Amino acid sequence: MTQMYNKVTDEVVKKLVAICGDQYVTTSEPLRHSYMARGIMGNEAVLPECIVRPANAEEVSKILVLANENLSPVTPAAGGLSGGFALPAIEPGGIYMDMTRMDKMTVDTENRVMVVEPGVKSGDAWRIFKTKYPDWAPPIPDGAPPAATVLGDAIERGFSLVTGVYGPQADMIMGMEVVLPTGEIFHTGSWALPGAKPFYRWGIGPNPDGLFLGSQGSMGIITKCAIKMVPHPHYKTVVAYGGETWDDIIRPAWEISKHEMGIAERTVMVQGGNYELVMTRWPKENVPVDYEFYKKIGVDQKWMNYECWAWSKEELDETLQGIDKIYKDYEVREKRTLPQQDLHPKQVASRLKKPNKIAIPYSLWQAGFLFITWYCPWLESGEMMEEYCTAMENYGFPPTMWVASIDHARQAIVMPILCYDSTEPGIFDKIREFNLETTKSFLKKGWINYRPDTFVHAPETFSKAKEYYKMLVKFRKVLDPNLILHPGRLAIPWESVSDEPSPLQE
Amino acid sequence: MTSLEELRKINARCIHCRACQYAYSGEPDREGEDETYTGMLQGCPAGLYYGWEGYFNSGKQWMARAFLNNELPASKELLEVTEACTTCGMCETQCPNYIDTVHVTEALRAAIIEAGVEPLDKHKIFGERVRNEELRNPYKEPREERTKWLGDNIDVIDKDAKIAYYVGCTAAYRQQQIADHTVSILEKMGVDFTVVSDEVCCGSPILRTGQRDAFKEVMKENLDLFKDYDLVLFSCAGCYKTFRNDYPSHSGEPLPFKVRHAVEYAYDLLEEGKLDIKKEYPKKVTWHDPCHSIRHVGIAIEKEILADSKNWLLDSRKAQKAKEAHYEIPRIVLNSIPGLELVEMYRNRGNSFCCGAGGGVKAQFPDLAVFASKERLKEAAATGAEVLMTSCPFCVTNFNDGIKALKKEEEETGKDLSDVGSKLVVVELLELLDELL
Repeated sequence: MTQMYNKVTDEVVKKLVAICGDQYVTTSEPLRHSYMARGIMGNEAVLPECIVRPANAEEVSKILVLANENLSPVTPAAGGLSGGFALPAIEPGGIYMDMTRMDKMTVDTENRVMVVEPGVKSGDAWRIFKTKYPDWAPPIPDGAPPAATVLGDAIERGFSLVTGVYGPQADMIMGMEVVLPTGEIFHTGSWALPGAKPFYRWGIGPNPDGLFLGSQGSMGIITKCAIKMVPHPHYKTVVAYGGETWDDIIRPAWEISKHEMGIAERTVMVQGGNYELVMTRWPKENVPVDYEFYKKIGVDQKWMNYECWAWSKEELDETLQGIDKIYKDYEVREKRTLPQQDLHPKQVASRLKKPNKIAIPYSLWQAGFLFITWYCPWLESGEMMEEYCTAMENYGFPPTMWVASIDHARQAIVMPILCYDSTEPGIFDKIREFNLETTKSFLKKGWINYRPDTFVHAPETFSKAKEYYKMLVKFRKVLDPNLILHPGRLAIPWESVSDEPSPLQE
Repeated sequence: MTSLEELRKINARCIHCRACQYAYSGEPDREGEDETYTGMLQGCPAGLYYGWEGYFNSGKQWMARAFLNNELPASKELLEVTEACTTCGMCETQCPNYIDTVHVTEALRAAIIEAGVEPLDKHKIFGERVRNEELRNPYKEPREERTKWLGDNIDVIDKDAKIAYYVGCTAAYRQQQIADHTVSILEKMGVDFTVVSDEVCCGSPILRTGQRDAFKEVMKENLDLFKDYDLVLFSCAGCYKTFRNDYPSHSGEPLPFKVRHAVEYAYDLLEEGKLDIKKEYPKKVTWHDPCHSIRHVGIAIEKEILADSKNWLLDSRKAQKAKEAHYEIPRIVLNSIPGLELVEMYRNRGNSFCCGAGGGVKAQFPDLAVFASKERLKEAAATGAEVLMTSCPFCVTNFNDGIKALKKEEEETGKDLSDVGSKLVVVELLELLDELL
């Protein structure tokens, strides 16, 4: 693939300096290494040849024009979604566009929309809302560290504070400013009309925004995003119910979540897991590994959390009673014992905290971890987790599993957390093998990746979804004729990620 | 674990989440006065100043990993980026994976130098001077004049006592008033102590800047010199941290004596009811936690507990509480002073923003040092305090340099910069204690 591209020469660097200023362009080898990331959202990364930090969409546009002239690949990134740098550069490196300087945010409480640039971080958005707009919550990723960005999470269709009700973060997008790979800047939604506010997502014609959402930065660079804010009522709590099997937590959650226009509307987040989710947050050598210990401290084998937001105590109580009633009825009907957990106020406070660092400590178990995320119909998630846990144990990984509802349990996001020692020789091959085996099996069952990784999920998925891939490549070639944006992502070009026959050839 | 290779697995825990860039990364709802000081707040001086990822700890961890994996060669450029860090440890406080971020940074510096890269010019000068047996200090002062500051008070030198006061190079040669005040406090408290004339540089500036061979020389000399004392007291936060935290890890042996910073010693006496401050200090004061004596020691306390624990899930809270108890020590001392009104800066205790002087930055990167100082002065001024109090000679110097820069700016522009700290008065707590006792 490297033959398709040219190296970033001194001449190109000079031109980048002319666009962004000397202060914001570097080819420093140490600094280029500082942008690397392997783990949490993907294990593949290569060293970019140059880092550039544009200040605005115009500079982004000029950089892309230059990149086309030189045939230099470009990887845009700011803070990523739930795990820091989600999209490091992959072969063949090229220009890495650090978007963190673009960090403006405007808030329109009347139209309940905020506009963010790529560098607006969750921690900063939360701080500003806390002081200026306390009755609103910024749409930040739940469970993500403070440096994860609002825009990154939204455009990659990530998880939000209220995904249980509102769906993936991308469902809340009202409009985008996009710089196309060839340098043109355009807006989606009602924003497309000069002077119009981003009040209507579907805009003035067919809405192309879906081409960019989930494209992992490969269809265009989104330099602004208008996104719905959600109300932030302050009567909030978390309740949790335990069980012994996946069905013990999945089925009652489905009954609660389908109560749309009822208690489900106030149950903004439904997420659960197994006791290993607690255990693997600590060093393997410094924590009990026998379930008996967790049982003693009140951790069920499996459990589901329900985070509820309400405008009054009465509303909150009504919601909690509704949840409890469903559980009680379920226990009688199904002859199961599903105890409500006795959460300490500190546990409740900890679960309500946003943004938080809950997703980070899985490196403590050994030295590294990877989230692999899948979507499936909610009621099939138990089967997926069962199979995943068995496979993890077969491969010698602890079976750490997390699951959450999307849009009233219409879909599940199932996420095994692979905890491993990243310094162990051969570990990445082992992970790849595990990933390949489970991917092949899951695709057969009709389950899909939330965010297909480059070297396993994307080629495996598109080798099955051939027609879709062909269309994707067509669109891509229209938008990005030289394929300069993040080559390799979404298996485009195919040869860069797979030795198998390309679906385009069939 | 002191070498970069030994820290490989700890470094490998980094998933590049960048929580380490934020003070209060785990407290998004922390209440503050305004938008500037509420919730989580960027807290890395070098990262804020330079902007590039490599200047934040999050980027440094990945540079260290690349170096360890032979993907990034040792070079002057790598050393320059790595040295532009105050090693304040704000990042270490934030890391949910308990990565020893400062150890990794210091070990990376040492590994680059051990690979043949010359220390940066100012740091090299420190190293040469400390290595020189005629000097054994970074200020190029004669070794025989190390106790000159005592003037006629020669009775305390090398006397037979079980408690020693380790003066350190800065108090011995540059800020002698700190040594004077410390001696005076100890005398007023009736402590039987001595000053050891043969003491040499603790090695902090050379350890921080990666010059470990020279550090080991002076560490051995000091350990040999003080081994028969029961207790060694310090007035310098950096020397204290070096003895307390670094000597055991670099020598592989526990310290043969107890160590306390003078402020901690005053706290001990307060707790024992042996110290009673009666004089008033009717001023509004804000306290700056020196990174070395507060955050680094607090983190070490926490990690020492965890190192002995078989169950971190249960013991992590206990370890955290012990760390937090350490952070309270100067506050308990300040609150024992009648009339003193203590108003906290937003970022305090483990989340404190560095003064900007540490880690070899003051000498090699003076602009970064002044930037950090001004950032902290602004935060201090936001409290409405008239006095910025601390207990570290480097913090005092760097804050005064920041104030000088603000005053100069006032002169040049005619602007009143008191709201960002130009009128603050910096006071060393030991100086105040001496006045009040």
